[in-house]
Amino acid sequence: MSETTQAAVSAGTLPAFRFSGAETLKHIVLIAGSVIVLLPFYVMLSYSFKSPAEIMQNTGGFFGMQELFRDDYCIKLGKDAVDCMVTPVIYNYTTAFEKAPLLRYLFNGVVVTVSIFLIQVLVALPCAYALSKLRFWGREAIFGLVLFCLLIPVHAIALPLYIMLAKVGLTNTYAALIIPWTISVFGIFLMRQFFMTVPDDLIDAARMDGMSEFSIIWNVMLPTAIPALLAFAIFSVVAHWNDYFWPRIVVTGDRSLFTPPLGLREFKGDADGDNFGPMMATATIIVAPLIVAFLIAQRRFIEGITLSGMK
Amino acid sequence: MQSTKAHWWFVGPALFLMVVILLMPITIAGALSFTNYSLGNPGADFVGLDNYEKIFTRSTYEKMFGATFRYVFVVVPLSVGLGLGAALLINSTRRFGDLYKTIYFLPVMAALIAMAIVWEFAFHPTIGIVNSTLERGCGSFLETWHWYAKGCERGFPLWLTDRDYAIWTVAFIGIWQGFGFNMVLYLAGLTSVPRELYHAAEMDGAETAWDRFRLVTWPMLGPTTVFVVTISFIRSFQVFDTVEAFYPQGGGPSKSVYVMMFAIYEKAIQQNLMGIGAAITVVFLAFVMFLTLAQRWLVEKRVHYT
Repeated sequence: MSETTQAAVSAGTLPAFRFSGAETLKHIVLIAGSVIVLLPFYVMLSYSFKSPAEIMQNTGGFFGMQELFRDDYCIKLGKDAVDCMVTPVIYNYTTAFEKAPLLRYLFNGVVVTVSIFLIQVLVALPCAYALSKLRFWGREAIFGLVLFCLLIPVHAIALPLYIMLAKVGLTNTYAALIIPWTISVFGIFLMRQFFMTVPDDLIDAARMDGMSEFSIIWNVMLPTAIPALLAFAIFSVVAHWNDYFWPRIVVTGDRSLFTPPLGLREFKGDADGDNFGPMMATATIIVAPLIVAFLIAQRRFIEGITLSGMK
Repeated sequence: MQSTKAHWWFVGPALFLMVVILLMPITIAGALSFTNYSLGNPGADFVGLDNYEKIFTRSTYEKMFGATFRYVFVVVPLSVGLGLGAALLINSTRRFGDLYKTIYFLPVMAALIAMAIVWEFAFHPTIGIVNSTLERGCGSFLETWHWYAKGCERGFPLWLTDRDYAIWTVAFIGIWQGFGFNMVLYLAGLTSVPRELYHAAEMDGAETAWDRFRLVTWPMLGPTTVFVVTISFIRSFQVFDTVEAFYPQGGGPSKSVYVMMFAIYEKAIQQNLMGIGAAITVVFLAFVMFLTLAQRWLVEKRVHYT
């Protein structure tokens, strides 16, 4: 057996080809793939640095030349031409925050994703505990219901939920952005599976100590569930920070409720030639938090996002 | 001692929310699909199967199914195939595997709406990086490719605004976004293939890498594949962000990108035709339920060999 094959087999993988160029060939294919995957990220970041002229003529390399250019909007406001010379990168990022209330959008995004996650846990954890550790009449039926609800795709309930919310006058509120996601049957299922592995002795001991069922959940079960909960947090936060479909439906017009994706979409709606740079800056700012967090804690993120693989 | 009533406090809120947020809407969608309800109207008329009849006879909805199935049947095989291919390659290289994995997973993390806007830029006919890169290849050996030579001569496609290319371009973005997710699932699947099986296969005369893939890896990845295919189907049936970003009105050139989710949004939210929107929702739900049940059935039929 050649050395290559041995190495590959011992890594628990497909044995490699036996000719020496195989490894190189693989890297060529993988690098070509990486170029295509990274292309839009490159474009986004690069354009967020460049001046309008550089974007239009496709010059200036990755960072742009960072030569001062005249901000026409500033001239329109009647200021001196000298005061209106700006550096592209600074112009792009300041415009991103000034032209639209981007900070407000980011704040909304945080409020919505955090509230959703907290409520999901508050609802799912006790339910999962009861389903896994308490014996009561109807338990199997409720678990069956959870399994059935797992089949329901969120996109299918969007329209009737929208009608229900409209009927009670809740569209264009934070509540509308949060309510549909307060119940995560997937979270219940996941936590139940996890709690099943927690030994009963632990709970019995806690009961002996006189703990109430309620405090068992928060003081005994919750701490043991931290790893699963963290994965679920990532799953939940990524999904809702990036969600566009639902906010698009329930928030119309009222900018103060826009989540980051909606804000970016509106920016695009009224973008003209000069605003490509700021728009790309906005996109970068919106995408950056999750990408950075992902790069820092890759393993956890991959675990969290592929959680649904455990269904 | 187990307290007797505590469980209702624990299960109650979840049960209530499940009924109100998940089950009731499904029932409402089903009921509304037989009416011509609009928001703001006091009542609605029962119209029987009219909405469904429209969906299955009118040319608009023919286009809707056409666009949806074209998208789905391109994105699913390619994103699964590329996911598997990337996983196998990464798993078999000795170096930089983690780096590639990180790179390929990036699109899964990024907000699709943001990346859609960037792609629209990249595909811009005149200032976009895609066409300007393609133009650079003009005059080289690439011109022997008929399509390429034509592009050099008369300009490369307009991609997103050309009705012959629009749906495929949107599908490309779908693949770009989704294959990393499948790759990660396949990588997890690969780690669970017992090494001894390769030795055993080799003893039995599985000489080439292809033999080993065919006889060991592929069968062992059965459960992963079933799952990956199902979830790719469901995700691609739900495509919305890219379509809405590129074509806020009307579903693209000649409605060639008029996918189901967008149709629901357009009919129900933009035009306030709740009945027809509900009917499309029910059809969509039927597709997804069918796929999920098929998956569960396949899993129970033991696609795994261990």
